[in-house]
Amino acid sequence: MKTLSFLLAALLASATLAQDIPYREYEPFERYEPLVSGDLTLSGTYQYWKDPANLDYRLAGNPDENWKLNWKFMDPPFNQAVHGGHFAVDRGERLFKQLDVYGNFASCLSERTGSQQNLRAGYPRWRADLGHVAGLEEVIEHCGAKQGRVLQNGSYDNSAISLYLASLGNGQPINIDVSAGPMKEAYDRGRRLFHTKAGAFNFACASCHTHNIGKRLRGNVITTIYGDAAHYPVYRTQYMLQSLQLRFAECNLDTRTQPLRPGSQPYTDLEVFVTALTNGYPISVPAERDW
Amino acid sequence: MRLLLAGLALLLATPVWCAEIPSDAGVSDGKTMAPQIIVNSGRLEWAPYKRDFTRWLTLSYQDRRATPEPTRFAMKLPLAGDKARGKALAWEWCITCHTLPGDEWPGNVGSPMVHYKQYKHADPLIFQQIFDPRIFNPNTVMPAFGTFGLLAEQDIRDLVAYLQSIE
Repeated sequence: MKTLSFLLAALLASATLAQDIPYREYEPFERYEPLVSGDLTLSGTYQYWKDPANLDYRLAGNPDENWKLNWKFMDPPFNQAVHGGHFAVDRGERLFKQLDVYGNFASCLSERTGSQQNLRAGYPRWRADLGHVAGLEEVIEHCGAKQGRVLQNGSYDNSAISLYLASLGNGQPINIDVSAGPMKEAYDRGRRLFHTKAGAFNFACASCHTHNIGKRLRGNVITTIYGDAAHYPVYRTQYMLQSLQLRFAECNLDTRTQPLRPGSQPYTDLEVFVTALTNGYPISVPAERDW
Repeated sequence: MRLLLAGLALLLATPVWCAEIPSDAGVSDGKTMAPQIIVNSGRLEWAPYKRDFTRWLTLSYQDRRATPEPTRFAMKLPLAGDKARGKALAWEWCITCHTLPGDEWPGNVGSPMVHYKQYKHADPLIFQQIFDPRIFNPNTVMPAFGTFGLLAEQDIRDLVAYLQSIE
């Protein structure tokens, strides 16, 4: 009997061990810098969009060249007859002031000081009260819930508040520190995830946004991942107002991969990675993007 | 004791990373859902998506399913493909990345398919490239249409017939 139990235990152990490592595929090349100028060694388009006040609008008018501006020509002061992002900022301001009558919504968001101008530039960050790294939208949901207000991560009102807070810090460079601790762990996980293949087409984010930048998918030209987090939440003509994590969900759907829920750990790790690649680029909201 | 043994046997029979959909995936009733943004609402709605992706791997850390490994498929000759049907399939599945004759705004992530006949590739080779190109290049970004169950054998035969007909 003892031998039998031992045999079974050994079998069980070996089965668990073998099952711990399912077969995965990764895109090679993981050389990134957590700084927006790192794009110079990836797509090289940074030279065209590094200075938002000095974009070459001749490129913007040319459908073969406009991708080189990383669509920054649709950041403010784009303001083409005032798009929906501006209305969202107004809505966000109203909601924020409702929630912050006694000042505890703002203090919940920034944990200590209550200065909202620096909020967007410093998120995602480690939240001791939540016990994990969290994006701004997740924290807005958390702080809203404390007051009995439903502000689900990814919902219009949640993104509107996030957009309003970002607009307070307009022009401020994104600045998250991923050099140590849980933020570095999240960054590393996010970078790994960016290169993990998934879905029906077996695509990783990197399949396009690292290896095929500048190439065409019919009418779309693939752009760099550097510098993208500075204009989120963004007004998009098909989704109205979209947070960065909902953009991931849409990317997943577009590449035939089952999306995850906003606020899930993989999406937050990806957000940390993508935001770190925008470090040093000024916040520019409300922006619009096509589709 | 017998009960314990039966329990252990049952445990062994169940794979740890069984084909379970992770709990952080946007899934309801086993179907892929897409987020719907409702203006001026604090709630995020989810509606059934036009396609279902639940059988393939997600980016979730809880997802313990494995990626289907690179697979060889020995295509048996003759080809017996319908090039008209192949063209329709190519315009559905290939055109986003590959340039096909007659497309005025072609993709160029993949190599151009114009004048494809000139390469004189063998039919089984093209079949394998569509079925699972990872056999030839493990780092390819081209989907493995056969291994991942996106196209049936006859579909790929039709595609090969179409490609071989492009003058």
